[in-house]
Amino acid sequence: MKLKLEETLDLREVLRDLDRYRPRSKGWSWREKIPEHQVGPFVLKDTSRDLKRSVPLLAAPAFGNIDPQCDRVITTEIASGHFEDDLRRMRMAAWHGADHIMVIRTTGQSHFDGLIEGTPEGVGGVPITRKQIRATRKALDAIEDEVGRPINFHSYVSGLAGPEIAVLFVEEGVNGCHQDPQYNVLYRDINMHRSFVDAAEAKRVLADGGLLQLDGAHNANATAKEAWKVTPELFVQHAINCAYSRAAGMPADLIALSTVPPTAPPAPKLRLDLPYAVALREVFAGYRFRAQQNTRYMEADTREATITHVLDTLISRLTSADIQSTITPDEGRNIPWHYNNVAGVNTARQTLMGLDGITELVELKRDGVLREQVRELKERAVLFLEEILEKGGYYAAVAAGQFVDSGYYPERKGDGIVRAAGKGDGAGSVVAREADYGAPVCSHFGTNRYADGNGKPCDAIGGCTLCDPAKIQYIDELDSEDRVEKRLKTPLAEREAGLLRPEVEKHGDGIVCVTLFVPGTAAVAEAAALEMAGHMGLQQPEVISRRLMHPAEGSAFEIKGVLDMALRIDQLPLTAREVPLPDAEIETWVRPRAIQVVAATVGEDEHSVGLHEILDIKHGGIEKYGFHCHDLGTSVPVERLLDSVEATGARAVLISTIVTHGGVHEGHMQRLDALARERGVRERLLLVAGGPQVTDELAQQCGMDAGFGRGTTGRDVASFLVRTLRDRETG
Amino acid sequence: MSSLERPDDFEVRRAHLRGLSDEELHARFWTLVEAIVEPLVEEARTHTSPSIERSVLLRMGFSSVEAKTLVDQMKGRSVLGHGPGSLVLKLAQRRGVTVREAGLELLAGRGWEELAL
Repeated sequence: MKLKLEETLDLREVLRDLDRYRPRSKGWSWREKIPEHQVGPFVLKDTSRDLKRSVPLLAAPAFGNIDPQCDRVITTEIASGHFEDDLRRMRMAAWHGADHIMVIRTTGQSHFDGLIEGTPEGVGGVPITRKQIRATRKALDAIEDEVGRPINFHSYVSGLAGPEIAVLFVEEGVNGCHQDPQYNVLYRDINMHRSFVDAAEAKRVLADGGLLQLDGAHNANATAKEAWKVTPELFVQHAINCAYSRAAGMPADLIALSTVPPTAPPAPKLRLDLPYAVALREVFAGYRFRAQQNTRYMEADTREATITHVLDTLISRLTSADIQSTITPDEGRNIPWHYNNVAGVNTARQTLMGLDGITELVELKRDGVLREQVRELKERAVLFLEEILEKGGYYAAVAAGQFVDSGYYPERKGDGIVRAAGKGDGAGSVVAREADYGAPVCSHFGTNRYADGNGKPCDAIGGCTLCDPAKIQYIDELDSEDRVEKRLKTPLAEREAGLLRPEVEKHGDGIVCVTLFVPGTAAVAEAAALEMAGHMGLQQPEVISRRLMHPAEGSAFEIKGVLDMALRIDQLPLTAREVPLPDAEIETWVRPRAIQVVAATVGEDEHSVGLHEILDIKHGGIEKYGFHCHDLGTSVPVERLLDSVEATGARAVLISTIVTHGGVHEGHMQRLDALARERGVRERLLLVAGGPQVTDELAQQCGMDAGFGRGTTGRDVASFLVRTLRDRETG
Repeated sequence: MSSLERPDDFEVRRAHLRGLSDEELHARFWTLVEAIVEPLVEEARTHTSPSIERSVLLRMGFSSVEAKTLVDQMKGRSVLGHGPGSLVLKLAQRRGVTVREAGLELLAGRGWEELAL
């Protein structure tokens, strides 16, 4: 399957022939660090190979449009409930630098005693099934080819069906997963014996399949009443999963600790979180680290969440991480929206590029309070382990409520999670292996009569599915109604009819978000904001973020609602954008004519970047065609531009206007036109304005010959100048 | 204060750790972890579960639906401890058919009396 750049993902093609799909590779992929990487004008220290295709960071145009990629894998978590909509989001995320796509499972899959098949709709995630995995992996193969980097696909091996899901993941080329029996015990109330016995089998399968495994310890941060006090226990949870995984045959470099800096401002975040991060990395040297961002304190404000996530990323860069996970900034208020996955990825990408090479400049102190706190955390963790053994082992300690207590261990508040070894989902389902027990397959953990001799255990059956994938039994669907093909009928019909609706999550959801500030007391302002959204035509308006500016002066709101309308693409008033002339044609016409051009950023405006992009030969600006450019700089009055026109005999004036407060950009354009007329030079001059808020239509209304907005290149401007001047010459 | 509550007595409890170097402390940490994990691993080595056995049957070429039915029926007959995969294989060997054919026979309700326990 191959993606076309200008076309949306072809879901029919994704679903075609899935019964015959095989993953083209297996196991986890890391990014390869390139030391001293020359990227554009910079030598970067902590980067990997560039992508073939991507959307660069927004400031990139000022630095030669470079899009360096950091040396860490970047994670985004995706799951709307419709995997078919998620695939398009995965493509967007990949273009922004995500190469680890974590698919959240539907609510309740942990308690499903067996595999789910087909493509039923999910809640808060997607049902993980063979068909869904194949479709996703197949789409990711094509996305990998488009961006030019391997993409790791990840989901969860927990619940009552861990070993089966592990086999499924290895068979179908899933690259990473969460597997931690403690997660089942503490947060899913699955029987302890069942969880640990199953986990050994699952881990053995995953190890042989080369999947990267993440643990579940970070969940304690989200559960404990005071997250920063649960840190001693987190060493213990990480360690139990690490040691158990090793015992099941997993190598350390496939075992990753999932760790989160536990606090957020106004707490003194670095002072609390940095010693913890340092201590973890010392005790767990040799294991991998997945640095997660904090979700604990997220409310509705995406900006507030983003700042915490930047600080989380700073901590992981000051210490270490193999994977930088991201949290969508809207996770505190809804199931994440498409563009917020991209926003989350960009928070990590932008922060990590900004911090490139930081460890060559600063280092953490080797004495004083940092070391004291590191040591104290380690000792508290050791004391925690001692008490587990004193209590009679892991099961007894959990039964005594030792875990996820909100006290700063050894302090205890008596509010830990209590689970009894004989209870929980799946209690009594574990049985002892008899003397003749056997399992004639590979990657099986524990006593097994087929593993005693030479050769592979599966020789007895002529090969298992891990050795001979042709033996895998594929089930397409079990439910004739609740399936992807049915769900896609309307979306695909609308797409074919050329209809467009706004969307944040699922095709055609129609959800939009508007921001309003209302001057008034909080309650009055909120009621008014909702009413106003209704007047804008939004159905089911709902306040998703409120931010108090002042108790009496007003509040700002974000309101989501449904805009229930479909536009026809063929009826859109698209202004036909002129195709720029070929470089050679421009240069051939311009160079012999020695055309003078005067340019400046006008008004009280010190921005020079935009104009440089259009003029400078370095940036592909119009100088390269042979235009003689006179750049008068920034904050230039329009009078001076016209003085320069008279002095140089210029035939065109280019003005850049970035600042637009109170419509000053319109004023500058009108004044330039008027003054040129006054001085009698308007007829022989081409007046051109540019800036992020400028459109061709607006510029012409203000007396310009043309206007250029965001995304304009020197070639666009040169093409306009050549076309117009050439027309004038030929009459 | 309930019996589960305890003030922070870190300074008292840490007395025996204070003199350890960082390396010694790390070593102690991992020794304790190994001691906690060891009985859990031993239980896993010598026990099995419905999910493990379904995962074995998947690897032997049965679908999830077939594996679930087979394991449920083996569990009902209290023979999980012998390994359902092994039982299917032995039935296949006795009859001179493939393991898949033997499993489908059991799913059709035939051959259960022949299971070699």
